[in-house]
Amino acid sequence: MEKNRSYNRRDFLESGMRLSLALAVGAVGGLAIGKATASEWVWQIDPFACTQCGRCADECVLSPSAVKCVHAFDLCGYCDLCGGYLIPGANGLNTGAENQLCPTSAIHRKYIEDPYFEYVIEEDLCIGCSKCVKGCASFGNGSLHLQIKHDLCKNCNECSIARLCPSDAIKRVPASTPYLVKGGFIEP
Amino acid sequence: MATGNKNTLFLLGPLLGAIGLLAWWLTHDPSRHFEPSIPGMDNRPDSSIVLEAVTIGEHFQRFSTDFTPLPESWPRFRGADFDNISKSDIPLLDQFDASGPKVVWEKELGEGHAGAAIYQGAVYVLDYDEEARADVLRCFELTTGKELWRRWHNINLKRNHGISRTIPAVNEKYILAIGPAGHAMCLDRASGDLLWGLDIAREYGAEIPFWYTGQCPLLQGEEAILAAGGKALLIGVDCATGQVLWETPNEKGWKMSHSSVMPFEFAGAKMYVYSAVGGVAGIAADGPQKGKLLWETNKWNHSVVAPSPVCLPDGRIFLSAGYGAGSMYLQLRKNGGVFQVDILAEYAPKDGLSSEQQTPIYHDGYLYGILPKDAGAQRNELVCVHPDNIQQAVWSSGKSHRFGLGPYLLADNKLYILDDHAVLTIVKPSKTQYEQLGQVQLFEGFDAWAPFALADGYMILRDSKRMMCIDLRK
Repeated sequence: MEKNRSYNRRDFLESGMRLSLALAVGAVGGLAIGKATASEWVWQIDPFACTQCGRCADECVLSPSAVKCVHAFDLCGYCDLCGGYLIPGANGLNTGAENQLCPTSAIHRKYIEDPYFEYVIEEDLCIGCSKCVKGCASFGNGSLHLQIKHDLCKNCNECSIARLCPSDAIKRVPASTPYLVKGGFIEP
Repeated sequence: MATGNKNTLFLLGPLLGAIGLLAWWLTHDPSRHFEPSIPGMDNRPDSSIVLEAVTIGEHFQRFSTDFTPLPESWPRFRGADFDNISKSDIPLLDQFDASGPKVVWEKELGEGHAGAAIYQGAVYVLDYDEEARADVLRCFELTTGKELWRRWHNINLKRNHGISRTIPAVNEKYILAIGPAGHAMCLDRASGDLLWGLDIAREYGAEIPFWYTGQCPLLQGEEAILAAGGKALLIGVDCATGQVLWETPNEKGWKMSHSSVMPFEFAGAKMYVYSAVGGVAGIAADGPQKGKLLWETNKWNHSVVAPSPVCLPDGRIFLSAGYGAGSMYLQLRKNGGVFQVDILAEYAPKDGLSSEQQTPIYHDGYLYGILPKDAGAQRNELVCVHPDNIQQAVWSSGKSHRFGLGPYLLADNKLYILDDHAVLTIVKPSKTQYEQLGQVQLFEGFDAWAPFALADGYMILRDSKRMMCIDLRK
């Protein structure tokens, strides 16, 4: 009798519901797994390829730019005569605005002990113009360099700075290692 | 009456508003949150430099008296003739095999950029011992690297892009060295005995340049020639006694640079040419006027000057400096017994021959030099220029052959160039094109900037912490 029981409309609907639920759960799980394992990419500047052209300040869709100067303190010489802080031929080695290279005074100079000075960047003031980076690269150890800050960057599909970067220094990097910060005297 | 009041109100309201806006505009300071950038915000103390009392050259230790004398010498910065050209007729390697030249010996040194002088088989290096906190003049045997003796004094110095950076001057009788903080000492060459010491900063109120003294001292027979700054621009000291024989007044308050004093003879006058921080000058080197200022110009004034003047036989003088300074080209003339200088050219580093640290070589009518990092597209390239057109390269090594701040020297009609990372390159000093003969990485170097010394086919070179002697003989 049991075997010959007819497969009625109710059974069909119940089976259909179960199958739909299983498929839905599987799809959601699959999406979640996919999301968790997908490799995402973000834009970043290779500081060793950057030629400090200044375009990062102007071409970013954000204003001010998401590109900021960062400082590799382990590379810095902590010099009194800092090529990243002072204009060439500065009248005085001091904090006078007329002697500073940074157009927004975003770099703070602090005396540590003779003959060392520490240079700290105030990110809110930095516009990513790279004047300090150029000065540091020309006369110092290159400890000042540009990086795209990911708390600011919109991660545009078509980064407007990358399109114009003359040295192809802006590239996609895995989101798991989003910064290319100098240090340890090692070039990539 | 009611209509009149209404009209008054209509007029009074905007008027009061306008007055209020005017008052706000007059009292509002949109820059009230600005912070002025004025000197002193870095908390630099008024006077951070405390001169330490140093008993110059007080300690001595001899390790051996046994060493092999050799015939040749490289007795000072830029060699015997101040041109950085070896006159030896020993044939030298013009290419390297995979293993590079034979390494004769290596020494670990204190961090710095001080090169060596060689005198008849002995190598003299001014080192800084970071553990003992001491300036140490060390003498090694050239062929083995065996340390023969050392003389030192204690002084506390901190790393500042290295510490030691000067090359001793040596002649038959004397050795003259200047330490990082301007402590000059003169020794008897044969015995290593201290003859005298001079604290230039204390005695002359001189200011030691950024990153310590880079001036390599000059020995002229029985006289030590030192650039001071402070109350005397140049001084001449009797090597035997330490007595100051003459002083050039420094009325304009020029300061000591990293540049070294270069002897020059022009229009029958012997002079010392010195590129100071503040200007460049020629000082009489002989006769009754010895020490007198013959000519000067303050048109050449930069805060950091490392290359030494290159004086050409026709009186043209090439000056260069780093940190954006570029170069200046002077013409020295003598009219009616009086010297005068005219500026032939002054230009940015990217606009002609320029140098940040090393001094270009004048050879067979052409100048060879390595452009600095701020020379634009030609940065760090070796260039050859003709003195008649110093801003136009006859040739350059091109972007695939860049060098750095390291030394270069001409020997056996070949240019030997060391880059920052201790890559040694041999280049033919061609007048028409860059011709590289050989290249080898000697070791994983860092800041290999010290000038070379070469004698009897042995070359001494170093990076910031390691000195090496290589055998360049064929």
